[in-house]
Amino acid sequence: MNRTMRALLGATALCAAGGIASAQENVTLTIATVNNGDMIRMQGLTQDFTAQHPNITLEWVTLEENVLRQRVTTDIATQGGQYDILTIGNYEVPIWAAQNWLVPLNDMPESFEPDDLLEPVADALSVDGTLYASPFYAESAMVMYRTDLAEAASVTIPDSPTWTDIRTAAEAMTDQANGVYGICLRGKAGWGENMAFLTAMANSYGARWFDMEWNPQFDSPEWTEAATDYVDMMTQFGPPGASNNGFNENLSLFQQGQCGIWIDATVAASFVTNPTDSTVADSVGFAQFPNKEGVDNHGNWLWTWSLAIPASSQNQDAAKEFIAWATSRGYSELVAQEQGWAAAPPGTRRSLYDSAEYQEAAPFAAMTLTAIESANTSQSSVQETPYSGGQFVAIPEFQGIGTAVGQQFSAALAGQGDVQQALNNAQQLTQREISRAGYPK
Amino acid sequence: MARAASTRRKAATTLIAWTVGLLIFFPIFWTVLTSFKPEAQAIAMPPRLWNFDWTLENYTAVQERSNYFRHFWNSVIISVGSTLIGLIIAIPAAWSMAFVPGRGTRNILMWMLSTKMLPAVGVLVPIYLLARDTGLLDSRILLVGVLTMINLPIIVWMLYTYFREIPGEILEAARMDGATLRSEILYVLTPMAVPGIASTLLLNVILAWNEAFWTLNLTAARSAPLTAFIASYSSPEGLFYAKLSAASTMAIAPILILGWFSQKQLVRGLTFGAVK
Amino acid sequence: MSTKASRTAARLMISPAVLLLLGWMIVPLAMTLYFSFLRYNLLMPGMESWAGFENYRYFFTDPAFWPAMRNTLVLVGGVLMITTIGGILVALLLDQPFWGQNIVRLLVLAPFFVMPTVSALVWKNMFMNPVNGIFAYLARVLGLQPYDFLTQAPLASIIGIVSWQWLPFASLILLTALQSLNSEQMEAAEMDGAGPLSRFWFITLPHLARAITVVILIQTIFLLSIFAEILVTTNGGPGTASTNLTFLVYMQSLLQFDVGLGSAGGVVAIILANIVAIFLMRMIGKNLDA
Repeated sequence: MNRTMRALLGATALCAAGGIASAQENVTLTIATVNNGDMIRMQGLTQDFTAQHPNITLEWVTLEENVLRQRVTTDIATQGGQYDILTIGNYEVPIWAAQNWLVPLNDMPESFEPDDLLEPVADALSVDGTLYASPFYAESAMVMYRTDLAEAASVTIPDSPTWTDIRTAAEAMTDQANGVYGICLRGKAGWGENMAFLTAMANSYGARWFDMEWNPQFDSPEWTEAATDYVDMMTQFGPPGASNNGFNENLSLFQQGQCGIWIDATVAASFVTNPTDSTVADSVGFAQFPNKEGVDNHGNWLWTWSLAIPASSQNQDAAKEFIAWATSRGYSELVAQEQGWAAAPPGTRRSLYDSAEYQEAAPFAAMTLTAIESANTSQSSVQETPYSGGQFVAIPEFQGIGTAVGQQFSAALAGQGDVQQALNNAQQLTQREISRAGYPK
Repeated sequence: MARAASTRRKAATTLIAWTVGLLIFFPIFWTVLTSFKPEAQAIAMPPRLWNFDWTLENYTAVQERSNYFRHFWNSVIISVGSTLIGLIIAIPAAWSMAFVPGRGTRNILMWMLSTKMLPAVGVLVPIYLLARDTGLLDSRILLVGVLTMINLPIIVWMLYTYFREIPGEILEAARMDGATLRSEILYVLTPMAVPGIASTLLLNVILAWNEAFWTLNLTAARSAPLTAFIASYSSPEGLFYAKLSAASTMAIAPILILGWFSQKQLVRGLTFGAVK
Repeated sequence: MSTKASRTAARLMISPAVLLLLGWMIVPLAMTLYFSFLRYNLLMPGMESWAGFENYRYFFTDPAFWPAMRNTLVLVGGVLMITTIGGILVALLLDQPFWGQNIVRLLVLAPFFVMPTVSALVWKNMFMNPVNGIFAYLARVLGLQPYDFLTQAPLASIIGIVSWQWLPFASLILLTALQSLNSEQMEAAEMDGAGPLSRFWFITLPHLARAITVVILIQTIFLLSIFAEILVTTNGGPGTASTNLTFLVYMQSLLQFDVGLGSAGGVVAIILANIVAIFLMRMIGKNLDA
């Protein structure tokens, strides 16, 4: 009954709305978001928003990343209309915007200040110069390492290390008898897990996923070299069970003091330097994502969890108000005031990195900014590519292909078959899927 | 002499049985215990069995973050609702299968069971489209309906096997006395079948409570049950064992307690005709 | 025995259940069948076109198809074996007199109430994790290298987790059956000098046959569509080592939203499930008739 009423009301509202802003009407915004720490924090601070907008009620749907992605994609692709605000990544934004599934974020409230957004981040969320999602936080990838272990092993990691530097340092820091593993990298199969890392690593070796005719390139010497080095390093100096380790697992390992080097998303920096959760908070050093000697490429990893409004939402104005609040400079200041500057969502706004307080509170600020600013997602490899995207290929088929390829590398890491076999399988299955999808288009 | 031997034997059995029981139960015990630890101690090695700082902070954190009672209430409505509707549909069906069996009865029964093998992931998109077009997305009505259909075969089968054990003569006698079909079912059969119905009800409430595919994929904010509540605590960034344990404890405690208290009723009818 | 009138009444009464299930079966099935012949990706609306059997061809030639078939069978078979044998042992144990029977029975029953997602999360993180898990700790205490369950033996680990969830169910049904065993017959056999083993083999086991049938039948229905446990623990890997048919369909349909391919997989899975069902009926269905 209730439901029917609501549907009817919704339909009437849709017919009547036209251009009339119904700011004073009572609206309920349903927000789908991922269960990461920064979002949980935002949920806790929304009183500030509801105090300013007493007519807006917020309903949260907080889900684990994979479940969230599956839910919101199903909903938006079928025009289910269950959500007013979606938390999605820069992988989805261009694909969905091209289908007109997202509301363009022009005519935002003044407090939004779009010019303050970091350029690579805003670019990754725009199509033809129009912003379709607003970044809540953004990350690139970098090296995090234990300065105390490096010192004890008398190795140094330069600010811009090569893979040889990393390998040497990992070897020197490894002390398996005491549960210290020289290097921790993602191994869990998934396009957003091990393939994010491996794609970035391959980029830094000069590899690419596809040539200009959309032929998969896993048979190229660059991929072979990158994959071989990855598996070698991990089997010799990595933790046990690495093929099941994703971001989270590595984070706990690092926080427990069991990793010498960890190369992963820059947001991890605030977790590993936070003394309440991390046992190694005082001795973490940072460096840029490594590259292979002679290849001028640092992986081009760029990910941003961002807020977008589905075209099927019936509360678009209220949703814009919320997005403006949650991703503005004011929100960072609110977080800083409540929980300290180090907790401010990183990677989205220039003003944050200009702030002296933030720089002081966050020792990783400079390196994070360097990493994000050097990420070029339109040209991720030194070779020419027919696709965009840094640690992923921005085509709808990539989730499936990436995960299937990820399973191959995770198998190689687990010791089932060798690297060459994984590369061959990856080549075959990518070829199969990409030609099924009808590329080149 | 014999008594001493049997006492010794009983003691040995007690020891083994308790060891087995505790081993089987240990993961649950450990989850509950972990839910009272601070995050850093939850992951500490060696594992802390008692030497940790008892805390309720995980429960407070979970309660602050999510509306537990709404999820809980949705779970109750969905699981109990779908089971009751399932029973209403299944009792007449099971009656006719048990007392007026035709040639096709067994095939119908088997066919019903085989609908349970319908792989949910393969039909999600069709069902989602149907739900969207009927405006039922994120409504408890939809979930009650879907879970009724999912558990109906099991309900029919359990009742069927239970009804078959009831001697047909009793019904014949009632019929002789002029009972109508309706009163035969309502006043003769149903009371006799109460243990079977009770156990069917319990088993299906449990199955519906734990169903995690449809309940997760067809809900958003309003009708999401406890399975969705769990999905917001599994593998976030950072340490999460203790909060996950607290959320898990909160999700399974109601059904575990219900199951424990009604264990006798559950078990009594849980024979599927296996006991003659 | 039954009059014509009651036959009609019986038809009437069975029809709601049958019609509803028929609807539940046929509507999505028809849609699935239709979609399976389309080139239809949710992420590319407006591109739908007739594809003939292409989706089926792709599904069958997927390199993961045969491993998935094998894994499905191993998973179902493994869990059935463990829960049936384990269930018989636990039932025999609980049937003996000992102190605290009721409490132990509650302990054994408990895993059945735990949501599959929760149990998979708990086992994966707190027990099987090779660094922070309890098993790793025990191995180190015993001076062994921690075993990495989900990497080295992914399918076996999942079988273990699922068996833990289903052991209580099997134990209880078998225990109920055991308790209905005629004790006079047992005593007579004992008098005749039959040892415990032969008593078990010739009296107990035949008596349990029906209960075992039921356990196998019901569990098979649930085990064929195991999904949450795999998604949470191994994501079907490493490689395809723990991908079952349901998970393969998930990878193809929900992960890339290829509705056509996913539907073809769904249709194949339904057909296979029905083959298994018929097979089961033939093999053990006669046990269920009075």
